[in-house]
Amino acid sequence: MKEITQKMRDTARELLSSGQVALVLGWEKGYPWYKSAPTFIDKVEDVERLVFDEFCHNNLSKYLLDLAAVDGKVALFVKGCDSRGVNRLIQDNQVKREQLYIIGIPCPGLKDPDDAAGKNWGDEINGAVKCQDCRFPNPVVYDLLLGEKVPAVERGRETRELIERLEKMKPDERYEFWAGQFNRCIRCYACRNICPACNCRECVFDRAVPEWLGKANNLVENQFMQLTRAIHVAGRCIECGECERACPVNIPLMALNRKIINDIEELFGEEPAGLDPEKKTPLGRFELDDPEKFM
Amino acid sequence: MKRVGVFICHCGTNIAQTVDCEKVAKMAGGLPQVAFSTDYKYMCSEPGQQVIINAVKEHRLDRVVVASCSPRMHEPTFRKTLEKAGLNPYLLEMANIREQCSWVHQDKEKGTAKAFDLVKMAVAKVLKNEPLSRSSIPIHKRALVIGGGIAGIQAALDIADAGYVVDIVEKEPTIGGRMAQIDKTFPTMDCSACILTPKMVDAASNPNINLLTYCEVEKVDGYVGNFDVTIRHKARSVDMNKCTGCGTCWEKCPTRVASEFDMGLGTRKAIYTPFPQAVPNKPVIDRENCLYFKTGKCGVCQKVCPTGAVDYTQEDRLETVRYGAIVVATGFDLFDESVYGEYGYGRYPDIISGLHFERMINASGPTMGKIKRPSDHTEPKTVVFVKCVGSRDEAKGKPYCSKTCCMYTAKHATLVREKIKDSQAIVFYMDVRTPGKNYDEFYQRAVNEYGVQYVRGRVSKIYQSHGKLIVRGEDTLLGRPVEVEADMVVLATAMVARGDAGELARKLGISYDQHDFFTEAHPKLRPVETHTAGVYLAGTCQGPKDIPDSVAQASAAAAKVCALLSREEMPTEPVVSAVNEAVCSGCGLCISICPYKAIELKTISERVHGKTRERQVASVNTGLCQGCGACTVACRSGALNLKGFTNEQILAEVDALCL
Repeated sequence: MKEITQKMRDTARELLSSGQVALVLGWEKGYPWYKSAPTFIDKVEDVERLVFDEFCHNNLSKYLLDLAAVDGKVALFVKGCDSRGVNRLIQDNQVKREQLYIIGIPCPGLKDPDDAAGKNWGDEINGAVKCQDCRFPNPVVYDLLLGEKVPAVERGRETRELIERLEKMKPDERYEFWAGQFNRCIRCYACRNICPACNCRECVFDRAVPEWLGKANNLVENQFMQLTRAIHVAGRCIECGECERACPVNIPLMALNRKIINDIEELFGEEPAGLDPEKKTPLGRFELDDPEKFM
Repeated sequence: MKRVGVFICHCGTNIAQTVDCEKVAKMAGGLPQVAFSTDYKYMCSEPGQQVIINAVKEHRLDRVVVASCSPRMHEPTFRKTLEKAGLNPYLLEMANIREQCSWVHQDKEKGTAKAFDLVKMAVAKVLKNEPLSRSSIPIHKRALVIGGGIAGIQAALDIADAGYVVDIVEKEPTIGGRMAQIDKTFPTMDCSACILTPKMVDAASNPNINLLTYCEVEKVDGYVGNFDVTIRHKARSVDMNKCTGCGTCWEKCPTRVASEFDMGLGTRKAIYTPFPQAVPNKPVIDRENCLYFKTGKCGVCQKVCPTGAVDYTQEDRLETVRYGAIVVATGFDLFDESVYGEYGYGRYPDIISGLHFERMINASGPTMGKIKRPSDHTEPKTVVFVKCVGSRDEAKGKPYCSKTCCMYTAKHATLVREKIKDSQAIVFYMDVRTPGKNYDEFYQRAVNEYGVQYVRGRVSKIYQSHGKLIVRGEDTLLGRPVEVEADMVVLATAMVARGDAGELARKLGISYDQHDFFTEAHPKLRPVETHTAGVYLAGTCQGPKDIPDSVAQASAAAAKVCALLSREEMPTEPVVSAVNEAVCSGCGLCISICPYKAIELKTISERVHGKTRERQVASVNTGLCQGCGACTVACRSGALNLKGFTNEQILAEVDALCL
């Protein structure tokens, strides 16, 4: 990882000093030690802040939405999941590929910051839940790749086990489960704010006219918000798991997203989102041989 | 404060017997902002409409709710009423208390309660209605007819007679279609060619009609009044301007292949016209079978052509033409009778379809009008006809009735008895359906005067034995099995939609049913229109029809086209999508979802952080938009809103019901 960090700095220095890009999006060491935060670098002397370690969770593609006013190209570092986020935004016509310089980092799988809390550097730390069944650890789009590609490995099955458990439940039990989860939701919208599939200019939850969602924090409104969110990212979720990681009350959002992904793949064939920026998403296009199992 | 008027219709007893209309009117009077409410026996009648007009004036109403039947039925009626009363016609809301209430419920008390709920929702919605105004689009005065059969020819002639230019696109080298393949026509026994070919010639010689034969529709863009249609002119390999149709080329051509026009019973050359009366009477080269195109050798037709019209280098050519209206008249195919393995079609040569029989009995057909067994060319003495092969058979064929088979089978049987004096004609039937003018008389004549035997029952098996076809079935009237030794069997096969009907429907943006027949906008009230404005239907592409029906419908479609083309401009429907550009992120999902290709991206400039930035947003073409609302549902941001059915309006309805 030290080696990757060094390469990141070298690359960023070269890109900035040669004027190829105006801004570099990366990660820097945060506080406490098990947090690495996004950083925005536009001066050569700042490149030493860049790091890549096992806590670089943030999907940097999301920040591209805020960079409309940057003149010139933007360089960003992407892990496998982040690279699908970039394709996701290109697919939604939010950024143009030619405005980006994408530097890929094959991802070895990240660590769980919650587990690291209270531990020291060098202690044994559990892998992050979001990386457990990562299918694309290597970037799917890049201009430059740092390091050797890594194989996809299964590191656990927490989310899948939860889905299996939920699928076996009776509808009432399942409702109870999710009602329990959504009851805890504080509607902080962290899940939405961090998601690269949530790229509306104005979120429906924020609109005053019509007021789709009331301001009161209760189960009904929370459920409405969470289910709307899940449906809005359906077919477009790139499985970066950021929503679940960002959730301060630990709602297993990826179980919901992952279940929808499974269903879509079962219905329309293997079609992970964000692989092909040219192709419309399975729920955004119509084909004559689409299955109509509900009819 | 808005002033809503509520008008409850009894619809005679249609609504009144399940809904206490007076009570609903009284309750509606108590709703907020309702200034007047009443009930009336027939709201759509002239005095009924007068009740609305008077109330609007007397009570200074600015919004109207009519609780009656489906808006599909009478929304236009009541919009006009509002206009007469001096209100914007879109300040009307209808509550469907007939189809959605009285017709589906029996309990009057509950029915009344539901009717009130529906009225309550309509009042909530109408309060959010905004006046909408129509704009207008120009009409391009040229029509396209797709398909050059009898329906297409008739439609083109009628449109041309009204003074408009019309193009007929026909994929075959000649117009004429299925009717040209038919010998005699029921019930008058007119020779088909005698009544069709003059019409074909009329079409060819009419200065307002352009025949685009051997052409196909490649792509359709645009909208009513302004369709941009790309037509593929297939390489004919013959220069139409130079060719005189002298026929030397096809006489000398050494290649013989089965003739599609003669249903494979006869042959044609590789350079050919499908039949002698073809219009235009100029040949095409069938490149798949032509020796020159296959081997590079031959070239006889080019050598013998006195005008040098044969041109092997021709290529397909695309041409885009703008039309105001389109008539679809693409006709039908025949059901694949080989599905019925037990009938032995394809295994025994003497089992033929009705259309084979037509070619065989035709004087200019492959047998010069003689009825001959295809196997040994002898005259059959016993001919069995099997009806409903494919029709009315959900298990193997199509569930619908093909409409023409009863009549053409009676015709065929009559012709057998007429042409072969000592013959026997036996018809196996399920029902005999003769609902046309003089049709039953025709059938009775076949039975009584020509002695055609009708046996009621489905044929279970046909097999060959000692040169005879053994037809096994059941006489369900006598309740016993029958077995007939036949020399020839004619299967009355079902009419099915063209194999490429679905593809054409998608190009045109029109809908089709489960059998691929194109669907009309309304089976009773708009039978020749499609849901796409400016596209009309004629003939069997819509469903099985006989010649009179096809011609009548073609003329009806032509009348619709003429009514459209007679206008310089037409008003557009204001119930279309609108984009809130501030909210639109330009993802373009609405573009792929729009069935009418009405949305595209446009670039706008805006100020971001003190700099001018360009970004893309969706833009609705109000001429193309049909107000279906698919985009409004697809848009995650809610940037698209359907005027007249805005999110605010729908939510007001939901709130009225639920809160």
